[in-house]
Amino acid sequence: MTARGAGSGSSAVVAERPAPGAPREYAFPAFRRAALDNGLGLIAVDLPGRPLVSVGLIIPSGAAEEPADAAGATVLMARALTEGTERHDAVQLVEAAERLGASIHAEASWDATSVGADVPADRLAEVLELIEEVLARPTFPAAEVERLREERLNDLLQARADPRRRAEEVFAAEIYAPTSPYRRPAAGLATTVAELDAEDVRAELARRFDPARMTLIVGGDLSGIDLDGLAATLFSGWQRHPDAADPGPTDATPAASRRRVRVVDRPGSVQTEIRIGHPGVARRTPDFHAVSVMGAILGGLINSRLNRKLREEKGYTYGASAGFDMRRSAGPFAARSAVNTDVTVPALLDAMAELERIRDGVTAVELGEARDYLVGVFPLRFEAAGAVVGALGGLVVQGLPDDELSRYRSAIAAVTADDVQAAAVAHVHPDEAAIVLVGDADAFLPSLEGAGLGPIEIDREPGDGPAAEDADDERD
Amino acid sequence: MHVPMIDFTDQRLANGLRLIVAEDHLAPVVAVNIWYAVGSKHEEPGKTGFAHLFEHVMFQGSAHVTKAEHFGLVQSVGGTMNGTTWLDRTNYFETVPSHQLELVLWLEADRMGTLLDALSQENLDNQREVVKNEKRWSYDNRPYGSWNERMLAGLFPQEHPYHHPTIGSMADLDAASLDDVRSFFRTHYAPNNAVLSVVGDVDPTQVRAWVERYFGRIPPNPDLPVDLGDLSLPPVLGREQREVVPDQVPLPRILWGFRSPVFGDERLDALDLAGQILAGGKGSRLHRRLVREARLAQDVALFSLGLVGGASITAGWATARPGVALDALETAFWDELARMAAEPPTDDELDRAKALTEADELGALQRVEDRADRLSMYATLFDDPDLVNRMLPRYLAVTGEQIRAVCAEVFRPDNRLVLVFVPAGQAAGDAEEAA
Repeated sequence: MTARGAGSGSSAVVAERPAPGAPREYAFPAFRRAALDNGLGLIAVDLPGRPLVSVGLIIPSGAAEEPADAAGATVLMARALTEGTERHDAVQLVEAAERLGASIHAEASWDATSVGADVPADRLAEVLELIEEVLARPTFPAAEVERLREERLNDLLQARADPRRRAEEVFAAEIYAPTSPYRRPAAGLATTVAELDAEDVRAELARRFDPARMTLIVGGDLSGIDLDGLAATLFSGWQRHPDAADPGPTDATPAASRRRVRVVDRPGSVQTEIRIGHPGVARRTPDFHAVSVMGAILGGLINSRLNRKLREEKGYTYGASAGFDMRRSAGPFAARSAVNTDVTVPALLDAMAELERIRDGVTAVELGEARDYLVGVFPLRFEAAGAVVGALGGLVVQGLPDDELSRYRSAIAAVTADDVQAAAVAHVHPDEAAIVLVGDADAFLPSLEGAGLGPIEIDREPGDGPAAEDADDERD
Repeated sequence: MHVPMIDFTDQRLANGLRLIVAEDHLAPVVAVNIWYAVGSKHEEPGKTGFAHLFEHVMFQGSAHVTKAEHFGLVQSVGGTMNGTTWLDRTNYFETVPSHQLELVLWLEADRMGTLLDALSQENLDNQREVVKNEKRWSYDNRPYGSWNERMLAGLFPQEHPYHHPTIGSMADLDAASLDDVRSFFRTHYAPNNAVLSVVGDVDPTQVRAWVERYFGRIPPNPDLPVDLGDLSLPPVLGREQREVVPDQVPLPRILWGFRSPVFGDERLDALDLAGQILAGGKGSRLHRRLVREARLAQDVALFSLGLVGGASITAGWATARPGVALDALETAFWDELARMAAEPPTDDELDRAKALTEADELGALQRVEDRADRLSMYATLFDDPDLVNRMLPRYLAVTGEQIRAVCAEVFRPDNRLVLVFVPAGQAAGDAEEAA
C-alpha cells in the first residue's frame, strides 16, 4: 500500500472507467381499469412485494375552475374535508386513521382535488371506508372552516416575509393577464379568502361531485384483496350528478409580450431572488417529450447550462434552475435562482444569455446526457406505490392516453437535436419575459438601469404596486 | 402488518473499509451509500463549516474524473446523487439502474483514493462562494433562519463541538485553504473511516469483487479514529436560557430547545413517541389544544435530532396567531409538555403513535436509498447495522411510563432554551410580554 498524500493516490485506484452491464428490462407497471355502475372509475395496479398500499380518489377539477371572486375556495374545501363527517368529528377521524397507521390527506391543485392515504395492505378496506365518508359526507363545520380560513390568511402574511414565496407570487401576477386564474395563488388572495365560509366550500364540492367523473386509484401488493368488490360495496351508493361539467380550458393569457423588470425592495437582503419567464406550455402540448429534454438541458439537470454557469463557473448561487410547470393550460415557464446581492445584475445577464442560447440548439453530448438521464431515471421514480399511483393520477387528471407512461422512455429516446431546438424556439422567449427581482434594490439598481433589460418598476414598501394584493404562491 | 426483515452481509476489506450488501430484486435499481465518520464536530476552532465545504470539493473531480463530471456521469446513466454533512458524519450516495453499479463504485473509489490529485485553488474558491450562497439561502435570507445556530450555541457550551452549526461562519469559510483540504482529506477520508452500503438488484459476490478491485488498494490512515476527547455533558442545561430575537417576520414564533438523551439511548426512542403524541399531526395534543381549540397558534412542532456526542437536541415551536399574547401561548405549550411529564399517555394514544411509527418504517424502508442510508448510519454510529431491523421492535416495546419518565427528565425549566422571535420594530413590547 502506498502512503496517503497528494499526487500519490492514482496508483491506489483503477484508472479505467468501467463499462455498463446489460440493462435489465423495465416496464411501467401494468394497470387495470374498471368502473362501477354509477360510473366511478377504478384503476388497480398490483405491485407484488409492496405492502404499503397507496390510495387516491381523484376529482379532475381544481382551483382553476373556481370563480375569481371565490379564489381559494377549492383549496379551502379540500383542507376542510377532513374536519368532520357525519360519522366522525375531525379528531375522531384522525384517530381512526392513525389506528390504521395511516393519515388521510385531502388536497387541491390547479387541476384536481383528491383524497388519499398510504396504508398497510391488510387495512385497505378500513381506509377506503374513511375516504368514502370524507368525500361523500363531510360536515364542513362553520367554526372549523373559519379557523382554516384564518390560518390561510396568516399564511399569506408569512409568505410576504419569505423572499422565495414573495418572488413566486409577484412573478405569477406579473406574467398572467388579470383574466387568468394562474395570476393568483391556487389557495387564493387575502381579499377573496377573507369572504369564504362553510357554504362556499360545500358548494365547491357539490358542483364537482359526480362519480362518473371521479377515479379511485389503488396501487401496491393487492394479492388476496377483492378490490372491485370493496369498491362496489363502498362507492355504489354515490349518486350521479348530471349537471357537473367537465372543466373547460383555463385562461392562461400572458400579461404582456415585452420584456420588463419588476423589483421588490427588501432592504438588507443578503441575496436577490431572481425569476425570469412567461406563460409556458400545457401538459398536453404535442412536443411534451422535446420540451422535457430541452428543459433538462437548460435548467433541470445538476449539470444544466444554468447551474453550470451560475454555480459551477461563477459561484454566484447555491443553485440555478429552469422549468415548465405544465398544467391543463399553460402554467409558468421560469428560470430561478437566488444570488449574492452584489452579483445580482451579472447573474441576471448570464441567465438571460442562457435563455437566448438555448434557442440556438444543443450539442450532441448535451442531448445524449439529458435523454439518457430521463430514460434511465424513470424506473427509479417508481419504487414506491405512492409514486405509481401519483403518476396514474396525472394521466387521469390531464386526460392522457393509457400508454403515456409505458411509451415515455421510447418517446424521450427518439427526441432529436432539431426537436429540442424547435421546442426552445417555440417556448422560450427571453424578449417577452418578465424579470422579477426580490432583494435590496439600492444595492443593484444603478447597474440594473444600465443593463437595458426593459422598463423597471419598483415596489418600495410592502403594499405597493399591483402585485402586492396578490400575495404568495403555493409552490416553493 | 408485517415489516420485512432486511438480510445483509457485513465485512471489512484489509484496508478497513466496511462493506454492507443487501439484495432486493423488486426493481432494477441499486443504491450506493458511503458514510464517512467525520462531521462538523471534527472541525477545529476557526475552521467552522469546513466539513461541509469539503463535501462540496468531493464533487470537483479526482485523478480520473474532471470537475462536475461526477454529476454528469451519474445523471447520464439515469441516476440521482448527493452528499450531506451533519454534526456527526458526512454521507455520499447514488441511486442508479442496477447495471450501472460498477461505474458508481469506480467513481466513489476514485475520489476516496485520489481527490487531492485534482484539487485546485480555483475549484476551492468557486465552491467556497457556492457554500456561502447556500448559507445565505438556507439561513441568512430566511424568516426565523437563525434558530438552528442559536439553539446549538445555547444548548452546547463554547468548548463543545456541537456549539457551532454545520454551515459554519462566513469568516471561517473565507479562511479555508488548500492545506486545510489536504489535511482533512488525509485524516478523515480513508477507507478505515468509511462504511459502504450497496442495496438493491445486485449479485453480492460480484459486488464484493468489484469493491475489492476498486477500493482494495486505497491505503488506510493508521492514526484513526480521531480522538475528540470526552464529549459528555450534564443531562440538563442547569438553568433556563432565554433570548428575544427581532427578525423580519410578520408573526412571532416561540422555539424551545432541550438537551435530551444521546442517539442510541432507548430513552430517546420513548421521546420520539412522545413527539408523535404531542405534535405528530392533527390529532396530537399540542395541535388540538393550541391550533384547534384555543386558537393561539398557527402551527406547532416537536421533534428530536439524535446526536451521539453528549446530548441530543429536542426542539419545538409554536407560531403565534396575530394578536395572541405570547405568554398565553408559552404557558399553553409548556402545560402540555408538563402534563406528559406528569402522567403517561393513554393506551389509545400510545397505540396510535406506534401504528403510525410502524407504517412510517414500512414507508421509509421501501426505497433502496433509505435502506442503504440506515445501514451505513447504524454501522457508523453504533457499529451495529442490524439496528435497521431492531429499531422498530424497540419502538413497539416502549411503555407509557417510559414516555412519562423521559419527558420528566427532559422537559424541565432548568433544561430549556427559549427563543422568542418577534417582528423587528415590535421587539420591546413583545419582549416584555414574553418575559
